[in-house]
Order: sequence, then C-alpha cells, then structure tokens
Amino acid sequence: MNNLLKFSLGIFLSLGVAWLAFVVGARAQFGDLTPSSETLDEFGNIPSDSDLYPLPVSGLAEQGSKEYLALGCMTCHTQQVRMVEAGFDVERGWGQRPSVARDYIHQKHVLLGNTRIGPDLANVGLRQPDLEWLHKHLFEPQSVVPQSLCPPSPFLYEQLDQASGKTFTVVNDKNESRFIVPSIRAKRLVSYLKSLHQNYELPEMAFVVNEEENIEKNAELLNLPASDVNQSSLPSWLEKQIASGKEIYMKAAPGGGLCFTCHQPSGEGLAGQFPPLAGSDWVLGDKERLIKISIYGLMGEIEVNGEKYNNVMAPPGIPPGSLTNQQIADVLTYIRNDWGNSASAVTSLEVSTVRNKIKGRAPMQMWTAAELSAVDE
Amino acid sequence: MKQNSEQIIDKSLKLTVCFFVASAGLWLLAAALLAYISAAKLTDPFFLSSFEFLSYGKVKIAQANAFVYGWGGNSIFAVTLWVVARLSQAEARGKVIVLFAGFIWNLAITFGLLGILDGHMTPHEMLEMPAEIWPALFISYSIIAFFIIVTHRSRRNSNTIAPQWFLLSSLLWFPMLFLIAWNGLEINPARGTVQSVLSMWFGQSIIWLWLTPVALGAAYYIIPAILGRAIDKYYLAVFGFWCIALLAPWSVVHHLEGGPVPMWIPAIGTVMSIAMIFPIAVASTNFHSTAFLDISKVWNSLPLRFVIFGTLSYTISSYIGVIFSLPAVAKITQFSIINDFHFNQRVYGFFSMIIFGMVYHILPIITGNEISKGAKSFHFWTSAFGVLILLLAYLIGGLTHGVLAQQPSLNWASSVISSILPYFQITELAFVLLGFSQFVFVVNVWKAIIPNPFAFFTNDNDATNSEVSA
Repeated sequence: MNNLLKFSLGIFLSLGVAWLAFVVGARAQFGDLTPSSETLDEFGNIPSDSDLYPLPVSGLAEQGSKEYLALGCMTCHTQQVRMVEAGFDVERGWGQRPSVARDYIHQKHVLLGNTRIGPDLANVGLRQPDLEWLHKHLFEPQSVVPQSLCPPSPFLYEQLDQASGKTFTVVNDKNESRFIVPSIRAKRLVSYLKSLHQNYELPEMAFVVNEEENIEKNAELLNLPASDVNQSSLPSWLEKQIASGKEIYMKAAPGGGLCFTCHQPSGEGLAGQFPPLAGSDWVLGDKERLIKISIYGLMGEIEVNGEKYNNVMAPPGIPPGSLTNQQIADVLTYIRNDWGNSASAVTSLEVSTVRNKIKGRAPMQMWTAAELSAVDE
Repeated sequence: MKQNSEQIIDKSLKLTVCFFVASAGLWLLAAALLAYISAAKLTDPFFLSSFEFLSYGKVKIAQANAFVYGWGGNSIFAVTLWVVARLSQAEARGKVIVLFAGFIWNLAITFGLLGILDGHMTPHEMLEMPAEIWPALFISYSIIAFFIIVTHRSRRNSNTIAPQWFLLSSLLWFPMLFLIAWNGLEINPARGTVQSVLSMWFGQSIIWLWLTPVALGAAYYIIPAILGRAIDKYYLAVFGFWCIALLAPWSVVHHLEGGPVPMWIPAIGTVMSIAMIFPIAVASTNFHSTAFLDISKVWNSLPLRFVIFGTLSYTISSYIGVIFSLPAVAKITQFSIINDFHFNQRVYGFFSMIIFGMVYHILPIITGNEISKGAKSFHFWTSAFGVLILLLAYLIGGLTHGVLAQQPSLNWASSVISSILPYFQITELAFVLLGFSQFVFVVNVWKAIIPNPFAFFTNDNDATNSEVSA
C-alpha cells in the first residue's frame, strides 16, 4: 500500500479484470452477431432462400434515431422487452417475444434506456402503425393520450390557420383545433418509430405463445386459413383461442359474450329475426368490419346472404361493450372457424388497431350498415 | 514549527482550492435550477414546452452531468488537492498549471452542457456530453491528477493511510474507466447491446469508483481530525478498501436483468452486489463506532454533522441498494423511478453531504474567514430535510411505479403513471427546498472566499468622487 507503483498496479488490475469480462468477454461472445433467418434447418444452417432478420432500417429512420437521441426520448422510454421470467412486458402487449441481442445489431447507437415513465418502444411500430396518430402524439401527446406526461414538441411542426390536404388536425381538451404540418425532423422521427418492431422470430427466441390470455400472436401465421391444416393438427395456440372463444360465445355471466341467445349455439340465427353466423358473408369477410361490430354493436337494416334483417345488436359482452381485445379476438376466431366456417384467426393486435382507429366514437353508439359500408370506401 | 509548515501548505493551495470550491458551487446552483425544471416538467408537461432546448430529456441529462462533472468534479479536485497535500506534509505543485487545467475543465463542461441542450448528446450513460469535449476534459483531468500524485510522491512519511488510498484510487480509476469506455463506445464502437453493457458499466462505475472513494476518503480523514481520536477498528479499513476495488467494478451491471444480453452479465452483477455488504459494513463500522464514542462533539461540529449524515446515508442506502439488486425485487423496480432514488441518494445524500462538511472544514482554515454558524445550520437542516423528502418520494414512488407496472391489465398512462404523479409533485417541492439550501451554501462559500465583494466598487467610487472633486 505504501509503494505507489504497486498500489497503482492493484488499482489497475482490479478494474482490468472486470474490463476483461464486460468488454473483451462480451465482445467475443456476442459482439459479432449477424442477421439470421427465423429458423435454422436441421444442420443448424440458415436456409438459402429465407429472409434474414433483423431487416436493415431505412435512411430516413436512421436519421430519425438521431432526433430521438437528441431530444432525450431515452430518458423515459426503454426499447427492450424483458425475458418472460423478469417481467410482464409481453403480457402488457409490448412485444410478441422478449428482445435479444441480435435485434440491435443494425443500430449505430443502441438506445435501450433504463427508465419507463413512458411505455416501452421496442415494438411501437407494430402497436401504432398510424402516421397521423404518431404525429399528433409528437405535437401534443395529451391530444391522443389525455393523461400523458410526455412533453409536447410543437417546435417540430408548422402550424397553419386552416386545414388543407397535408395538415393533420389536433384537438386539445378545450376543443380547439390546430392544423399542423410535420417538418422533415418530425417525419424522420415518425419513420424511426415505425421502424421499431421485432415482429420476426429468431433461432434463439420464438414468439411467446398462448401461455397467458393476453399474449399477442404472430399475424403472419394467422393469415393462413385454418382449413388449410388438418383439424387435429391445428397449432395449439389456435386450438386454445377457439376454445376460449367458444366459452365466451356461450357464456351468459359477467365476462361472457351472450352471443348464443340470438345467434343460437348452432350459429344459424333465427329466420327473419337474427342473422346466421354460419356461412355468413359478414363473418367470413372483412375483419375490420367484424371487429367494429364487436366493439360497438350494430342496428338497423342489414342484408346477410341475400336475406334482410332489421334488429338491434347491443355491443356484445356483459356488461355491454366490456369484452377485452383478446376476448374479441378469441370469439371472432371461434365464429370464423366453427359450423363449417373456415377463415383466418383474429389477433388482439388487430382488434386494438381497429379500436385505436375508431377511438373517440361515443360509447354504445351502434353502427349502421350504411355507416360501415361508407367507411369501407 | 509544525503550525508554520501547515500554514505554508495551506497558502500554496489557497488559490486552486478556492477556485475549485467556488466553481463547484456555481455548478451546484446550475444543477439545482435544471433539477427544478425537469421536476416541474414531470408534473406539468406543458411547462416551458415550446423551448426545444429545455425538453425534459435534455434537461434531465444536463442536470446529471452538471451535478457529477461540474459540482462533483470540481469539489473532488478541491478536496483531493487539500487532503493529499496535508497528509503528505508537502506543498502543492504546479499551482498555475493546475489552475489553468481547472479552467479548461470548467469551460469544457460548459460547452458540453450547452451541447446537450442543443441536441448533440451521445447515448452513453454519464458520457452524454458531446464527443468533441471529452479530450479536453480528459487532458485537464490528467494534468490535475498528475500534480496531485507528484505532491503525494514528495510526502515526508512513506507510510500511507486510508484517506490516501481512497483519494488516490479514485484519481486513477476515473481516467481508466474513461479510456475503456471511450475506446469501446467511440473509437472502436462495439456492435449491438455490447454498447449498452459498456455504457451502463461506465455510468454506474463512475459513481462507485470515482465519487464514492472520494467521499469515503474524506470521511476517513475528517472524522479523526475533528474528533481527535483514531478510527475505531482501523485494521478493517484495508480490507474494506480492497473489497470495494475488487467487487464494485462487477456489481454495477445488475440493472440489465432480463434484458437483451447474455444471462451471466446481470447474474454476476447480482452476486457481486450482494457481496458488497462487506465493504459497506466495514466503512460503516469504522465511521460510526468512532463517531458514536463522542456523539456530542459530532453534533456540535457542523462539518462533522454533515459528514456523519453522509456516512449514515451511505450505509442505509447501500443496504437498500443490495436489496434492490436481488432478482426478485429487481424485476419489479428495474425500470421505475427507483433509479432516481439510487442516483440522488448516492450523489446527493452521501457524496454531496460529505463534501459540504469538508468544504466547511477546509475553507475557514485556508482563507482565515469564519462562516456564520447560523447559515451553516440553515444549510444543514434544509439539505437534510430536502434530501430525506426527495429520497422518500423516489423510494415509495419507485416501488408504486414498479408494482403497478407489473400489472399488465392496468392502462399505462391513466393508471400506472397517474398513480405516481403525487410523488413527482413532492420531488418538485423537495428540489425547491434543496435549491434554497444550495443557494445558502454557495453564498457561504463565496463570502468566505471574497468577504467583501463590493470593496472594489466602493474604492472605485471613492476614486471617481475624488477625481470629480479634484
């Protein structure tokens, strides 16, 4: 301790050992990861015709990451979905699977973050694909998330006196409208946010599937009609989703859907009063229309398979309109895959996307057929 | 004769120490202002929202950097210069060059903080100031450290004691940490999350291996010096020192629990964090069993009251830190505002409180100007209460935040974050109180250094008056 040279040597060594582990060791172990396909063939090689993930990001998005960094977004937002045993990030809907080291290899600056005053953004590009929503949120977060603590960034936008083709209209809580035009910086930032998604599997990490009710599923997989596969070889998540959907369909207690009272357990409906679900063009057709009806209900005259019906369908659920995104996804997947129906499953992500899209519609305000077909165009 | 030599040493240090203490004080005020702005922005997101350079993320980061490098760095130089020279019984060397280096250091931090506010921050923890200014910081630091080591080398007594180990090790660790991190992040940047491991390792190590040893060394110096008795169970100190040296560099990475890095990294951090109870226990035993032998003297000496507050805070909060590194707890509190608790308890409740005590001890000796007891006392009580309120708000708020965040069914903005809003309001009040407290500290310090600041102007007036009359 008295010899300065030996003392310094001890000081250097104590830090040097940790340096060997965290810098030299970590670099050797995972400092040179390369993109990979979602799964490997039986020899552990990347199949030659497969896409490699993570995909490179666009130049605009990369510039956006600099804006994200410069504004200090990292102070409140993380970009990492934790392992299932470490937290409930997947259950919260912040990702389809935990993040792994390979997800970050294209990023010049890795912006993991360590505090969550705002939500995790590792998959914000999947959660909020809507440009307008993102711009409104950047301009004034409180206009889309009323209780947000996120600071507004009006300096990224130009405000105009009246709406035009290229403006977005932002309404604040005092009902004042502002018409904003995004600057190039705002466009970069939004492009960056949209580029944040870990919606692919990797050899070391598959999607977290169906262990809990609220887990989101792989949208790509679900787009295959269920009939393409033999009933007995349905993937287990689909089987579970259908079973859960059937339970909701048949349940007449809080938390249930009470669907069977009108549409009947057979899915045939009642002639002239309640339309059938089996073979219905409404059920097998556009998912978005179906989701909208499941959230707000439907009233007035409609035509199903050429027959006219005129009745009122309250928002499903007990109490009405209380079904969660996952429950709606389950029950819709069920009615699209029973009684001879066979169509792609519905995910809670799709439901939440539609829900966000029609946010602001008054509760219990049922759709009419005219309104739905107008929206379709 | 002895008295004489001490006076000579103090005289050789007067200019540099006063310079560093005075600039540390100004940075403390800057940090207090930024802390208030960032806290106010969390309670009202529209507060000053139209100024881009004051957006929350920038202000918060600038505050941490002003606090650690501005206040922390300058006060580390002041305390280390003085304690090392006194213990070596040797005059300080390179006075003018050290002063010049100190000037560069402060100038670089000023530009660094402006750079952060102007949108040029880097994403690396505690290295956020723009890349351009780091060479200046590193070189000016090395010059100051070099001259302190030269002073140490010329010491009369070849035996060294605990304060010297801690102060010198901190002096050596900072440039090492910096070079490792700078090489891995900017010169040969690592790919992917290796960057994050390195950045987090640096950000946490800077607190554990730069600020902490200085505060511990200062406490090892000042407690026996004021009480006039040897440190109780002093033989443990060497064990405590090497425990920190060997464990602390490993213990800081447990914050990556469950993250996109190999499992061994957070696991090793957790194990080493738990092992940290040994050095914490050693320091705590040394300080407190000595202090409690003569508690009335501790209470009556304000510098020592600050220091013992700091050491108590170190002990309690370090044990809390150990608990929070256990995986079962860490997964709840990991991303919550408990991080602010850890930062503020270590940098404010522990480091700054001890430095306040040291400054109140050193300044009167060096300048010969006493600081009024009432002002010191006001500073102590407002700081103590302010820190206590701040830390409790972050601790309870952090636990609430963490527990609610683990309920996937709760809406994020309207349930989880709304529930911790009251704690943000409390921290805002605490920062106002601390701001007052720090203002009083800075006034105390500046008054001791320049007892009659208006003398110059009054003389000047006299001169003009006489000219007019002539």
